[in-house]
Amino acid sequence: MALRVPVNLRKNLSVVLYAFQGLSIVAVIVGLASLLLLPLDEYSRRTYISENALLPGQVHAYFGGSEQNIVRAFRREVDLLGNSTSDVVAERMAEIFRSAGLKVAKQRYSYKAAGGEYTGENVYAVLHAPRGDATEAIVLCAPWRNIDHLLNEGGVALTLALSRYFKRWSLWSKDIIFLISSDARAGPQAWVDAYHDLHGENIQSLSVKSGAIQGVVVVDYPGAYHRFESLHIIYDGINGQLPNLDLINTAVQISRDQMGLRTDLQEMWNHNDGYRHRLKTMLRGMVNQALGHSTGPHSSFIPYHIDAITLATHGDGWHDEGSLGRTVESVFRSLNNLLEHFHQSFFFYLLMAPKRFVSIGTYLPSAMLLAVGLTLTAIRLWVDPRSRSVGGDGGEVAKAEKTSEKEDLKSGKEGSGKVEVVAVDSGPKRELFLPMSIVIGVHFCGAIPFAVFNLVDYKSMASVFYVFIAGSVILPTLISVLITLTAAPHRLLPAFHLSRCFSLLFLGMFLSTLATLNFSLSFLIGLFSLPLTFARTTPKSIPLALVNSILLQLTSPFAALFAVAGYWGLGVEDILKEASFGWWVWGMWTPVIVWCVWWPAWVVGRISVDSSLVMAVMGKSG
Amino acid sequence: MKLSSWSSLALLSLLPSACVAHSQHTSNWAVLVSTSRFWFNYRHLANVLSMYRTVKRLGIPDSQIILMLSDDVACNPRNTFPGTVYNNADRAIDLYGDNIEVDYRGYEVTVENFIRLLTDRVPPDTPRSKRLLTDDRSNIFIYMTGHGGNEFLKFQDAEEISAFDIADAFQQMFEKKRYNEMLFMIDTCQANTMYSKFYSPNILATGSSELDQSSYSHHADNDVGVAVIDRYTYFNLEYLETHVQNASSKHTLADLFSSYDPVKIASTPGIRTDLFRRDLSEVLITDFLGNVQNVEVDGDGMILDEDLLALARSAGYNITEQEWKDAMTGGYHEKTKEERDTVVGEQRTWEGPAKVHKDRESDFWRNVMSAGAVGVCFVGYWVFSMIDKV
Repeated sequence: MALRVPVNLRKNLSVVLYAFQGLSIVAVIVGLASLLLLPLDEYSRRTYISENALLPGQVHAYFGGSEQNIVRAFRREVDLLGNSTSDVVAERMAEIFRSAGLKVAKQRYSYKAAGGEYTGENVYAVLHAPRGDATEAIVLCAPWRNIDHLLNEGGVALTLALSRYFKRWSLWSKDIIFLISSDARAGPQAWVDAYHDLHGENIQSLSVKSGAIQGVVVVDYPGAYHRFESLHIIYDGINGQLPNLDLINTAVQISRDQMGLRTDLQEMWNHNDGYRHRLKTMLRGMVNQALGHSTGPHSSFIPYHIDAITLATHGDGWHDEGSLGRTVESVFRSLNNLLEHFHQSFFFYLLMAPKRFVSIGTYLPSAMLLAVGLTLTAIRLWVDPRSRSVGGDGGEVAKAEKTSEKEDLKSGKEGSGKVEVVAVDSGPKRELFLPMSIVIGVHFCGAIPFAVFNLVDYKSMASVFYVFIAGSVILPTLISVLITLTAAPHRLLPAFHLSRCFSLLFLGMFLSTLATLNFSLSFLIGLFSLPLTFARTTPKSIPLALVNSILLQLTSPFAALFAVAGYWGLGVEDILKEASFGWWVWGMWTPVIVWCVWWPAWVVGRISVDSSLVMAVMGKSG
Repeated sequence: MKLSSWSSLALLSLLPSACVAHSQHTSNWAVLVSTSRFWFNYRHLANVLSMYRTVKRLGIPDSQIILMLSDDVACNPRNTFPGTVYNNADRAIDLYGDNIEVDYRGYEVTVENFIRLLTDRVPPDTPRSKRLLTDDRSNIFIYMTGHGGNEFLKFQDAEEISAFDIADAFQQMFEKKRYNEMLFMIDTCQANTMYSKFYSPNILATGSSELDQSSYSHHADNDVGVAVIDRYTYFNLEYLETHVQNASSKHTLADLFSSYDPVKIASTPGIRTDLFRRDLSEVLITDFLGNVQNVEVDGDGMILDEDLLALARSAGYNITEQEWKDAMTGGYHEKTKEERDTVVGEQRTWEGPAKVHKDRESDFWRNVMSAGAVGVCFVGYWVFSMIDKV
């Protein structure tokens, strides 16, 4: 713990403290500002195809003409099966695939999450590349019902028609798998898990497999109406992982330049490529990334390092299944051209327009700076003399200080050539036990909400949540009362001070690590945690303590949960159900991070703020 | 016409080869190399196969063409038209047709193999088809295409050859008397840097683009789905196909080079002539891209050749071995000169190798003219060599 500063600073630590405070404020401000600068032309870049092999849009797509009649016929088939059970659907789909001369298999699955059971039956067909070597595969997927539970009539019909159409080409270098998943959330996950033999017990193994999956395109074309206006490219994966940017660029380039089809990202339907729209697109992307949930069937593939996107139709326009079919055909020709796994372009990026992005090198500093702000605050708290328990044995401390000063002088004389530095660490010792146990204990408590919300039934989710909020509000106060009652008065302030220090240190380090994996989550938690940097124990100023307390309440994980619920227009229980479903089905880590990292940090912050009130009330202010 | 005219003719034919040895070659070879791997580099294979087609069209036999194909796009599963390679979206000519001989294929195309081929430092068990069996009277056409940069050319996906490597290999070829003249043509990005380090004589070099310039593809075939040919090669071919119809074409390299249009090619092609001794306007394109047409005979005229004698006998000539030898050697000439008068028209006798019948007067004048021509040539040669020295 030997933080060393020039000797003259030792006398006047406030310079160091102010410097740290200034630095952390600057870091936070620069971090926030740099995020807002990203949409500018100077900071973002135009997208480009990095992988030479892809050659997007260089082939004529021939899907159309009579194929369109086939799509319409299959549409009718799908329509007739609309309300049938999944095994009836799977059997009929299998029949159609079989009649096209493909190898077909089915897979039943069942998941339990949040008291609900999610069952279904996937059906898929493998088209073996006539001249390929069956070591690689690409997947064309259509969920029977899309993420909004609409019957994906067009998507399924198109997949069936394309399976017949692709069969007629002899130029495939990879096998093509046509997957009709029973739903958009659990089905693809069950299938991809089983494809890699990592499935749970209630999920059937796959009887037919092919090579390593190189890319996935999901077609989401719901409804009976044929025409659409634009293509919505959905790309967010589980845990905020993203597909390779080359895949998105390929889809954008093909649909825009080759097919004359507008592409949208993040539900920005009228993107004018101005600053506001870019920022909005980026922020929406960040929210999706931070939540780490599934945004479509493609999301489940991405954790397996399989690059996947969903092409969803949107609006009323003049494009029909022919345009979409040709787009898919052309994308598949590009995927077919791949020689190795997608690796050239970016995996970490923020898209702000279909053809504009920032890569990790540009955006990472903003989240890092927020985390650095927290870490710097933690260091400042450590250096601060208030972290030392002065008072009970003041004489001893003063003595110790004197002797250490003498030693310093001595060493200064002896080592004339050396830089004159001494440890700031001299003086009264810091009492580490109490703050450490507060921080560690609270972090362990994080397991409780995590376990509870993953185990509780959907029906009781809301009530449990409100009970938990009440508990969370009371818990810090309780802990601070307990500590105030039990600990010696002169140790109280340093203990709360140091517990903040440790908690912020841990949070800062965690967030800077997280920023490299899931930038958005790290940034948003960092943003919500900013009040923790200044909300301190102020037994002498009750109003300030109250303000801090309110601020902390407003930036609590619960407040964030309500914000997310409001953003989507759902109830809190739905968000919690989604989180539980995410944990059990997708292996989504967001709840772990929220309950085991963020919530404890917030509780520790609350403890220090509440303790000022408690100390004031108990008259132990110091 | 007897041996006097023969010898003068022989002298005449020897003359240019003795005087301007560099313009004379007795064989043509071509080394055609594509260095790129992968389907999306289809055009490089098409480039090199186009040149292969051209040199074959102009008469260089497969035995004298070393074709190095770094990948097999024809049989790539992605090929919409299996077993074919086209250099144009009209798909008029299948370059991979049924008459193609690839000498180095796929991963055999390496820098090491290429340099070993040039310098003939090959393992003893190397088949003839993989060797460049040239001598100091061979003209070699070397064509390379692939992905290049400043003073390097990438081979496969793993290694590259530098301009210095090629220059040193050429010097070694020169030292080992492995060529008479060489035409080096390269179509890569920054191609002109590749020949900038050459220092061996009698090399003519041309490339597609300058330092810091890219070479671009000409057009793509939207069914094959890839670019099918590069611009520089495309316009070279266009000239060769439209102007150099056959091996007797009189078009010169100066014509070819002046047909280059940097605007169309989208890069600045380069030509390096400082190592080359002849004037480009005198160098036929077919000196390099076509097969040699003139035949030169070794040794001191005709000596006894069992096969030829047998041929003469089978043609009905009553001829003994001695008569044949005499006809081939000096003494016979004076003796038969008188005898010949008496036997003319009487019977078919052996009169030496095939000749056109001429009467005696013209024979005399012919001899005089021959001698005169020889004299003129000597004088001419002397004058030109003096000028050259000045």
